[in-house]
Amino acid sequence: MNPSTAPGARLTAGVFYGLVVAWAIAAWNAPIDAVQGVIQKILYIHPPLAFGAYLGFGCTAVFGALYLWKGDDRWDRWALSSAEVGILLCTLMLITGPIWAKGTWGRWWSWDMRLTITLLQYLVYLAYLLLRGFTEGSERGARFAAVYGIAGMALIPLNYFAISLAGGRSIHPQNLGNGSLGAGMGLPFLLGVLMVLAGFAYLVVRRFEVARLRDAEALRAVEASRGEGAWAS
Amino acid sequence: MLRARGLTRRFGPLVALRPLDLDVAAGETLAVLGPNGAGKSTLLRLIAGLARPSGGALSVGGAGRNRAAHRRQVGLIGHQTFLSPAMTVRENLLLAARLHGLGDAERRADRGLEALDLGDFRDRRASALSRGLAQRAAIARALVHDPALVLLDEPFTGLDPRAAERLRELLRELPGDGRSLLLVTHDLARAAELSERAIVLVRGHALPLDAAALASSEALRAAYPAAVRRLEAAA
Amino acid sequence: MNVFRAILWKDLVTEWRQRDRVVAMGVFSLLVVVVLYLAAPPGIGRDAQQHVPGLLWVAFTFASILGLNRAFALELENDALAALAMASADRGFIFLGKATASFVLLAAVQAFTSLAFGMAFGIDFWPVLGPFAAVCGLGALGLCSVGTLFSAMAVRTTYREVMLPLLMLPLMVPVLLGAVRATEGLLADGVLPWPPIQLLLVTDAVFGIIAYLGFEAVLDE
Repeated sequence: MNPSTAPGARLTAGVFYGLVVAWAIAAWNAPIDAVQGVIQKILYIHPPLAFGAYLGFGCTAVFGALYLWKGDDRWDRWALSSAEVGILLCTLMLITGPIWAKGTWGRWWSWDMRLTITLLQYLVYLAYLLLRGFTEGSERGARFAAVYGIAGMALIPLNYFAISLAGGRSIHPQNLGNGSLGAGMGLPFLLGVLMVLAGFAYLVVRRFEVARLRDAEALRAVEASRGEGAWAS
Repeated sequence: MLRARGLTRRFGPLVALRPLDLDVAAGETLAVLGPNGAGKSTLLRLIAGLARPSGGALSVGGAGRNRAAHRRQVGLIGHQTFLSPAMTVRENLLLAARLHGLGDAERRADRGLEALDLGDFRDRRASALSRGLAQRAAIARALVHDPALVLLDEPFTGLDPRAAERLRELLRELPGDGRSLLLVTHDLARAAELSERAIVLVRGHALPLDAAALASSEALRAAYPAAVRRLEAAA
Repeated sequence: MNVFRAILWKDLVTEWRQRDRVVAMGVFSLLVVVVLYLAAPPGIGRDAQQHVPGLLWVAFTFASILGLNRAFALELENDALAALAMASADRGFIFLGKATASFVLLAAVQAFTSLAFGMAFGIDFWPVLGPFAAVCGLGALGLCSVGTLFSAMAVRTTYREVMLPLLMLPLMVPVLLGAVRATEGLLADGVLPWPPIQLLLVTDAVFGIIAYLGFEAVLDE
């Protein structure tokens, strides 16, 4: 069986690939920024990735809460899939960010507010995966991770509050709504956001299917081994 | 007293307990038999309220889904003593009573000490008890809140003959107060002697034995292997 | 309420009789003071007030992790944890009892460590003792509420002792930031600055509620 046969897989794949093409064309044709040069085009991917990463973290918490409430394994699989995809997008974000930073500010990293918060959130979700992996008993691991995911999401607004307290100085570009997008830049940016959202859905659906198949396979293996003669007490 | 319908317990993909239907009346003693790894301890811990069932319904003393009321009515005597090692026997009993929200903890603790003949050891730390004494303290702890359903997981293991005899007497007395007992044991003779009914578990599958099988220990010794074979074939 | 007191008493009495947590935490804090003093940048004497709050809270955090790890590790013996799980009283009170016991032990270590820090770096906490104790308390509250929840989780994982700091530290950033800023402001001006205290209160409330409610799910097998 193939994750590509999951319901919704073909649809999300189609939408995603279509948007990738549209985005690539729009980004290529967009005007080059007078001040920053070509490197500014990372704008068309970096903030959308950020959006996707935080969406992933939010979904992890929500699906985790649903799992705690309903007890249905499927919610836990959605939570795990969201977390993994969120981590992937966050990794890409933490790669594209420094590339842009080196091109404009001249250095790879700074302990700026937004960067620090994102890095912390990244560590929280890595810890989430570790918790799942190392808890004795997969059902217990799912439960613990759900609680941890909720705490992890509560952290996001608290961190913003915390770090704005620490001075709030930031060299990271603030709201894009201040018209910092020049003419001709709106479309590729919008397409970037839609593309990442579609990519998120596409990956989560497939990851869910992989999780479902793995559980089914593990069950089959256990059942098969039970039929074999004497077994250890 | 106990009603289970379609009770299951899974650990991820591993199914430890197949859908199980069970009824235990007040004052009844049910023996739970089966080879190691069959799911007997899992069943007991489920009934004790330590874990939530993966599926099905379980009701102890009519508590239904009220987990606190459920736990209030169950006492578990397991492989471990559940005693806090740094506290004395009496302190452990006091704590156990208070963990059930009982106001008369002192009276209950003293009563427990007396019933299990632990008076001389009331101020000894749990970590300094011999196995037999620790077992008695564990029993006192499990009974301090007067549970209607008492679960015993292989309680005769490792006991010297005198302690075993004491336990046997206790198990005969308990149902007299309308208490129900679930006894997991490998000792078929004791099972036949102490219980009215039995179920056999093999790899999560359960099969009840009829009353005739428990009439005597010979009957049980005959009926048990047959039941195990039947379950192994089905599993 | 009875349950809360019973658990609190149990943990404190156990600690009194075994004395392992407090001693470990205290000795560890002392080591941290020494190491930080040796590692501190030159001129620490003059600018001490600027750097000490951060170092102090680092010491508190590591000491708290030591203590919190033991909070549930000691329940593993004889499977005493199952005894707690089988309690019919409200599990929230069990959580509160455990967290408060850790809080009390941490508070004692905080007092001891502050004394050591004060002597090593020439800081006088006495004039601002009341507000300083309040900040220490608020910070300890955050550490112990989340720490108790995660300690209960960590104790069922494969890498027990390592798991707790991994889970806890990223979430403790708001608590630590608030506590450090508050301590800094207090030592500099003699008055508690409001924004960090506000942050501490909000964070303690949010995490406290999550920990209290989450504990129910964590205590099941």
